[in-house]
Amino acid sequence: MKKAKTKKYASNILIAVLIIACIFMVGFPIAWMALSSVKPGVELFTIPPRIFPQNWSLEWYKQALANENVIHYFFNSLFIASTVMIIDMVIGSMTAYSLTRFSFRGRRFILMCVLAAYCVPPIMLMLPMYRIMNMLQLSGSHAGVIIGHLTVTLPFSVWLMVSFFKKLPQGIDEAAVMDGANEWQVFIKVDLPLCIPGVLSTGIMAFIMSWNEFLLSSVLVNKESMKTLTVGIANYISSTHIDWGIIMSLGTITTLPVIVLFAMVQKYFVEGMTAGAVKG
Amino acid sequence: MSSDIRVKKKHVVNGYRKKHSMIGLAFSIPVIIFLLVFVLYPVVYNIWLSFTNASLMTGTSEFVGIDNYVRIFSNKLFKKYFWNTCVWTFWSVLGQLLLGLGLALLISRPMRGGTALRSFLLIPYVVPAVALALVTKWIMNSDYGIVSYWMQQAGVLDGRQSLLALQGPAMWVVILLNIWRSYPFPMLIYWAAIKGIDREVMEAAAVDGASKWRTFLHITLPELKNTTIVLAVLRVIWTATYYDLIYMVTGGGPAGSTTHLPILIYQSSFGSFQIGYASAISMILGVLMFICIIFYVSKSDAADS
Repeated sequence: MKKAKTKKYASNILIAVLIIACIFMVGFPIAWMALSSVKPGVELFTIPPRIFPQNWSLEWYKQALANENVIHYFFNSLFIASTVMIIDMVIGSMTAYSLTRFSFRGRRFILMCVLAAYCVPPIMLMLPMYRIMNMLQLSGSHAGVIIGHLTVTLPFSVWLMVSFFKKLPQGIDEAAVMDGANEWQVFIKVDLPLCIPGVLSTGIMAFIMSWNEFLLSSVLVNKESMKTLTVGIANYISSTHIDWGIIMSLGTITTLPVIVLFAMVQKYFVEGMTAGAVKG
Repeated sequence: MSSDIRVKKKHVVNGYRKKHSMIGLAFSIPVIIFLLVFVLYPVVYNIWLSFTNASLMTGTSEFVGIDNYVRIFSNKLFKKYFWNTCVWTFWSVLGQLLLGLGLALLISRPMRGGTALRSFLLIPYVVPAVALALVTKWIMNSDYGIVSYWMQQAGVLDGRQSLLALQGPAMWVVILLNIWRSYPFPMLIYWAAIKGIDREVMEAAAVDGASKWRTFLHITLPELKNTTIVLAVLRVIWTATYYDLIYMVTGGGPAGSTTHLPILIYQSSFGSFQIGYASAISMILGVLMFICIIFYVSKSDAADS
């Protein structure tokens, strides 16, 4: 009896150690970035490095935001990601409605194509996309980047929303039809409102993906004032003179909004992903 | 009366299904058009480009048959970069699946704060690769980086040296970073799969006196086999083609030791402007990925819903 208790105690301690190790593993890079961004210049370069700043300072943020390009980057990212989010929500929910509430020929084929498109990596699309945007005279514009981001986010959004629409009982549609509603009204007035948490969460995930996207954004736009945050900051690092404090503050500015948004929607994200994404 | 309504309902609903199934299709048309124009067409266009000498420098674009492919396979460096791609993909995928499985087992234990821990462990999924890359370059900075400092103190590294400047370790650093940012997805999927395993079977095993380890080995693991196969295929597709992280952390260096095919494609397109050649490289990668995609789609539940 006593032995069993000791064993249980030991395994609890092991679990606790594991959990602390995990928290450290995940938290360290993010915490180190945030801490570095609030250390004044002298403390950033002390040897040995100190974990916590002795004096907190926002000087790096002031310097970072004094650069008007950074303001451009921020609003470009915000504009592009918001547009991508809205388009994804509109088109994605229509598609999810279509693929889950009707039975027409080719429905399964479309579903499989969406999934295949979800797997097509940006590096394969980069070159043709660059040429196509040139042909369409969209290169260097935000429209080009938005289309690029849609190729990445739209299949994902459809797939996630399908898992939410699937859960609505068919009876709901039928009741509405009995009351004389047509397909558009069933979608707008019945199904969409019931799926709004899922649709909105998917939209926010699309926002995050667009906000984080790097490759297509870097290829499709070259003017400084048109760049997104990720591309803009990545350029900072390749310049000869590196201001680590400014870079860490920019990294924090890019990361924090994403973590806050994700915290808001992760419940639905978990629900949607585990309902359908990958099953053996 | 009530049966009347039932008959009427059935009639209306059946008529609705038949008559309007084509209207249902109409709701999918925007996505179909988008995917045709901006995914399928680029992929086909890429195939065409790979048989031309298209160049951003000269602006030419003439059909040259399989010249690009011949050039690629006669390039000795290509073999090295292909091998780098294999190393990067294999260890990244293996690492993220193992870590994901381990953490899934951890968070599927009933415990206080389990949900909070799960949410916390998902964070790397959304941390922008650029932020991870920047902070890595900072902590590995040869003069002031904290990790470099620790390693220099421990005598693992020479003074003023950084792991990122060494040919062998640089690859391991980017692989570890990639595992860090990509384990949450497998973790989530494994967690769902573990939750789906029949409780009764587990309990029966416990009653029969099977140890936790044996239960894991003989019940949990076999149940996770299919999940693992599908996950591995999906992650291979995304890892082998993943460009951002390596580009931002090492740029493919030092001395090409972390250059993999996506970096090579980018360099050939926007470094030396030979986009016909670059398209041919991406076709080689693409054909391999296409096989994986077909396998993945056929195994996923799109195929049977």
